[in-house]
Amino acid sequence: MDWIGESKPAAAMSLKGVSVRRQAFTLGPLHLEIPTGLVTAVVGANGSGKSTLFRLLMGMEPCDEGQIEVLGERLGPETDIGVKRRIGYLAELPHAYENSLTAEEKARFASKWYPGWDWDRYRKLLRSFDAESGAKLRKLSKGMRRKVELACVLAHNPELLLLDEPSSGLDPFAWQTMLTELRRYMEQGDRTIVIASHITDEVKRLADYILFLHRGRPLGFYEKDALFDSWRTIVLSAQEDKEAELRLQRVPGIQGWSKSAPGIYQLETDRPDEAEAYCHSQGWKSLSKRRMELEEILGCLIRGEEARR
Amino acid sequence: MWIPVHIDENRPEPLYHQIESQLRGLILSGQLAEGTLLPSIREFAASLKCSVITVRRVYQDLENEGLLRTRQGTGTFVTRVDPDQRQEHRFERVVEAFEKAVETGLQLQCTPQEMESILREVIDRQMLQREEEPR
Repeated sequence: MDWIGESKPAAAMSLKGVSVRRQAFTLGPLHLEIPTGLVTAVVGANGSGKSTLFRLLMGMEPCDEGQIEVLGERLGPETDIGVKRRIGYLAELPHAYENSLTAEEKARFASKWYPGWDWDRYRKLLRSFDAESGAKLRKLSKGMRRKVELACVLAHNPELLLLDEPSSGLDPFAWQTMLTELRRYMEQGDRTIVIASHITDEVKRLADYILFLHRGRPLGFYEKDALFDSWRTIVLSAQEDKEAELRLQRVPGIQGWSKSAPGIYQLETDRPDEAEAYCHSQGWKSLSKRRMELEEILGCLIRGEEARR
Repeated sequence: MWIPVHIDENRPEPLYHQIESQLRGLILSGQLAEGTLLPSIREFAASLKCSVITVRRVYQDLENEGLLRTRQGTGTFVTRVDPDQRQEHRFERVVEAFEKAVETGLQLQCTPQEMESILREVIDRQMLQREEEPR
């Protein structure tokens, strides 16, 4: 059911000062509140820590610092595993120990573990994904196996879905089906999805919030539309000299700039109105202003982060 | 139900503003009749590729204006539109369209006189076309 109104729902998950330290990799520190009833996309390049974050949220990876609460339960070594029965987790890669099972056997196993399991829903999902259920999972193509996993993860209607690159291997039809099924799941109103993705279109169609990660560091947590509404690329013509380039760095909300031709500069800002006013006050002429794509924004955030290192 | 709202990526207005003014227009012009059930927030957001937060805000604003009503469990409906309000809106839409045209004119360095004569030409031509059209 839809809820209308300004009241903010409780967090499905909260992370306070969470860090994971491994030999070659550090994740965090993360301070996050994942809102209930909404879809949060985790966006980042390979090796940015998306999968580590998911394992952390599932209690499969111990954290070295900080506190994690999932669906109101504090995660820790002595945590009751009960909370895991309320979560649908789709790992990045299929589990090797399921190789010799058929889809049917995998589902039977899941049906015993999850209290919300519904065979009817499972069969409907298999049909809508057009998935096979007779063959052993290792005999299935990557996409076919993904469809079976998606059906299993949705069949128990969990309170929270953690999806680690769910669309990898899916053909365009199965991808559409996945989007429809996830939308239907969210229609219940009190469900939450956290989805790792680097497919721009998927993020645009599904997400309400976006978390950017880069080499284990959070680069920002944004409401999607506010993000796309505020970030702009402005192209301007200016007198070319050292002084102008210095003044360029003082543009309000500047996130990055480059010279695209003699006297022509391109800049990225998250305060476009003030930035334009500043440019006019400097006597520069703005030639164009446009919205930015997800990967352009991520690129900007990464450059900013690298510069601070 | 599909609602003909189009987001123009090149407009500077924020998404919620674009969606809200178009939806308001559809209701005030009568294109969405009284009693029409709107799509769910999630469905509408997905079709516009925006977040449910934005659509929720639009529904909430239009509900405060008395154009929409939400019934728990059933959804959001179009309410009855006051005829005075509709009349007022008719001019609003036209003024908006002229604003855009004048903006383009100024960008291309047209003088007010040039724009006025263009407007008169356009009116004459279109009126003539309408007269010629078989009824």
